[in-house]
Order: sequence, then structure tokens, then C-alpha cells
Amino acid sequence: MDSTTKKFIAGWLIFALIACLLPFVVSTGTLRILIFAHFLGMFAMSWDFLSGRTGYISFGHPFLIGIGGYTTAILTYHFDVPIYLSIPAAVAATMVGGTLFFVPALRIRGTYFALVTLAFMEILYELTKVVAPKLTGGTRGISGVPSIVTGAEPNYYLTFALMFIIGFGLWLLIRTRLGITLSAIRMNEEAVKSAGHSTTKLKLFAFMVSAAVSGIGGAFYVHYLGSIAPRGIFEINFLFTIIVAALLGGAGTIMGPIAGAYFLTLLLELLRPVLPGMERYFLYGLVALVLYVYQPNGIYDIIAVAGRKLSGKAR
Amino acid sequence: MSEPLLKVIDLHKNFGGIHAVKGVNLHVNDGETLGLIGPNGAGKTTIFNLIMDEFRPSSGEIWFDGQDIGKLATHQRVQHGIARTYQVPQPFSEMTVGENIRVAMAPDNLWHQIRDGADIAREAEISKSVGFAENAIGAMPPELSMGDLRRLEMARTVAVQPRLLLLDEVFAGLAFGEIAQISDMLVEKKEKESLTYIIVSHDLRALAPLVDRVVVMSFGEVIAEGTFDEVTNDPHVREVYLGQ
Repeated sequence: MDSTTKKFIAGWLIFALIACLLPFVVSTGTLRILIFAHFLGMFAMSWDFLSGRTGYISFGHPFLIGIGGYTTAILTYHFDVPIYLSIPAAVAATMVGGTLFFVPALRIRGTYFALVTLAFMEILYELTKVVAPKLTGGTRGISGVPSIVTGAEPNYYLTFALMFIIGFGLWLLIRTRLGITLSAIRMNEEAVKSAGHSTTKLKLFAFMVSAAVSGIGGAFYVHYLGSIAPRGIFEINFLFTIIVAALLGGAGTIMGPIAGAYFLTLLLELLRPVLPGMERYFLYGLVALVLYVYQPNGIYDIIAVAGRKLSGKAR
Repeated sequence: MSEPLLKVIDLHKNFGGIHAVKGVNLHVNDGETLGLIGPNGAGKTTIFNLIMDEFRPSSGEIWFDGQDIGKLATHQRVQHGIARTYQVPQPFSEMTVGENIRVAMAPDNLWHQIRDGADIAREAEISKSVGFAENAIGAMPPELSMGDLRRLEMARTVAVQPRLLLLDEVFAGLAFGEIAQISDMLVEKKEKESLTYIIVSHDLRALAPLVDRVVVMSFGEVIAEGTFDEVTNDPHVREVYLGQ
């Protein structure tokens, strides 16, 4: 194992240690905020694995999260399916359902791909309202979805463990040759084909992983909230929060979207007493813009540079 | 006589109303170096794009190693043994020289890409074989000269272990000394790895010592074919290409 890998693993372990000790020093209210950060971290990593890595900017991730969320909500609420079965079913449904829509879209690029995926989100929003509203709850959605665990602390540990396992798994994956080949698609897809790779296969893999993470995140999110409603999931602010978290944190880095998720969630919550309404989003947009202009590689880069300086001083 | 390694039969390509390639027939034998020359817009790069399936031909056939490859996608043609370089180098700009080669060396099998680690020694060997200095393996493409970018293109194509290399304007943008270096490297690679080349170049002086045969194109058609001296002394070629 090279020294860089050791440093990264040490970073992951320190992160886990701090996160495990946090419930002893922060309030229950803060833990509840951090739970949302963990969900946002999962969604941002999911977005980043497809869009940050391959350059296919998706505006349709709420569509994937929605499939996962609705599947587990319907199965547990209407059919009394146990959670340990409904969540794998939700992940499978997200991968299959997402594939049916996204894979044809992976043949188009750039703005067209982004717009088509945005349309998917709107399509599912409309579908949940009009198709089988008894099942989906229509515009009101479904309330009373069973919880996996109760209380802030157990939910904090559960969501952190999920985010950590997903993050560490994806980090291991991007360090392989496959990770490098996926990044190459973002830089020059034609040259990847010319290197003898089926980019369709590579993009499909990136999408499947992304969909699986969205499905897991979406399913757990709904069980945590205890409800799901179309306007809560298929909403433009929700979509932008996911994308901004990934970009602010540092696209294509795995640790970056996690850092971005913590930063954004805490920023939005800190602003809540001052700006209780939707104007918070204006201010966070401004902060995001300033950070993105002056630190285009994201928060992850700030942390990495600080880490390098510290280790240099330590030597 | 043995079957040519690559055979292009009656190839046509239309872009809307523009007939860019008009019934081109050409072949290259195993181990041969074919020069493909012609004025700007003659259709030389389009021929490369058609051979690599970067464009679909309007009609015609492409055979490689006795097999019709017309229905194969780009990556499958590469796996069959054809690789190309680009007129404007196309490096993966946020990756080091070593990582650029790594992408080309990776098998088209996702599980093998995950399971097998990078072959750093082989990456260094390929990098060295195209003339990079040892410390260049960690260099980023924006730091490289045009000569080094052409070397990187060559390294990436060699890494896929091709039999036929399509080299597009391989001497463009190079200083005199660099042309000689790249030229020597091409000769050495060809001998060591039994490669076959099709070289597109406007630099006839650099091309002359490399080629066994030359095909001349103009306005999408083949107008002459023969040895370098034969085609460059052909009055029709001199008129349309050399302007005299």
C-alpha cells in the first residue's frame, strides 16, 4: 500500500472517529441536522459518480431517489412487506426503472442529456399524481411509512454508517483502473473509444452504481421521514441542493460531495433563524457562487491543501 | 499474393449535400507503410474516421484481416487491431502521461479493470519506447510540447497493441528536430512490433523515407497511386496538390 493510500485511509478513519464521537458533544437538534447531511451526502455521491466522473450532467436524480422511496413506501405501507425485503426491492426497482429511462438518454450528451433527465423528474412527478393515486397517495403522498430505528442518535449512527460505507466503497472503486477509465470519458469520450473501450458499457456501469446509491438513499430517507410526497422529492431546489453539494465539495472526489453535503446542510440550518423563508436559497446560491468562483475544485481541495501543509509542517 | 491487411472498397460518405468521399478503393498490405496525401479537404481524415467507425459510411465496405468490419463499433475495431492518432492530439488532459497510457492499456472488461492493478512497469516501458524521458511519466498534458503530445498519442495507440496504425498529420506542428525524432521512433516501432502504417501528412519531405507506397486524394477521390517518386512526378498530382 503506497503512502498516499495510507494517508487517505487515515483520513477516512479520523472522519469516522470524529463522527462516532459527535453525539457525545452535540445536541439532539444538531444530530437531526446531521442526519439530513448524511442523506444529502449519499445523494450527492450518487450524482457525482455519474455526472462528476463521466461528465454526463444529470438533472434527473430525484427521479431515481423517488423510485427508491416510493417502492419501499408502497411495499411496506400497502403490502406489509418487511423493511429488510422492501429496501433491496427498492434498490432493484431504482436500477431497473432508471435503466429503462436513463440508458437511452446516455446516447445523447451535454445540455440535451441534462434536459432529458430533468424531464424524467417531471414525468415521475406527474405519474405519481395520476397513475394509481390510491397506491402512491397522489399529491398528498404516503404518510405512516414505518421507521427502521427511532430517536436522533440511532438514526444518526445508521445514516452515518450508510454514508460512510457507500463513500468508502465508491472511493475504493474510483482508485481502480475502472475509476480512471470512467474519468477519461469526461475528458474525451471519443479517445476512450479509440483506446478500445465500450463507453456504453462504462456509462451503464456508472449509471447502475449511481442508481443503486440513489435507491438506497431514497429508501432509507423515506423510512426516516416516515412519509413521501411528490413535491418533497421531485422538486427543483432538492435537485439543485444535490448538485451544488457535489460541486461545492469537489466533483469527482467522493470525499468532496460528503464535505459539500455537511457544508450546505449546516449553512442552510444556520441561516434558518435569520432567513426562515425561501430567501435562504438565494443566500446559499450566492455563497455557492463565490466559493465556486474562488475555489473551483471545491471544499475537498481546501482540506487536501491544508492536510498537505500540516503534514509538511509535522515533518 | 496474400490478402491485404486492410481493404476499403467503393467507400462513399455524404454530409448532407457534400459528397466528401467518392467511391474510394484502397488497401494496405501487412507490414507496409502507406502514405495518404492530398490537399486540405481531400477527405483523408474522413477516411480514417470511416475506418474507425467515428463516421458511418454512406456505402462501401471495409475489410480488416479478411473480415468485414463494417458493422463493428469503434472499440471493437480497436480490439481487432486498428488504432489511430489524431490530427490535433487528444490527451486526457487531467491525467498524467502514465495514466493516459493506463486507460489505453486497460482491458475492455469491467471486472478485470477493478481486480487488476496498474502495470506501472509496462506504462514506463511504453512511455520510454516512444521517446519520453523517464521523469515524464508524471507530467500533465498541458505541460507537454507538441512533439511530446504526439509521442503521447503514439504511446496510447501502441498500448492497445494494434497491428495497423492510422497516423493523422503526425508531423504537424513539430520543429525540424522533432520531426526527425518522431520519424526515427516510427521506424523503430514498426520494426520492433511488426506494425503496418497508414500515414496522412502534408510534410512530403518527412513522409518520403517512411512510405512504401502513396495514395493521393483530391475532392474525395483517389487520383493517383504508386511509389513516392511516381506520384510526386505525376503531372496531374503536381497540378492539383503541388500547384505546378
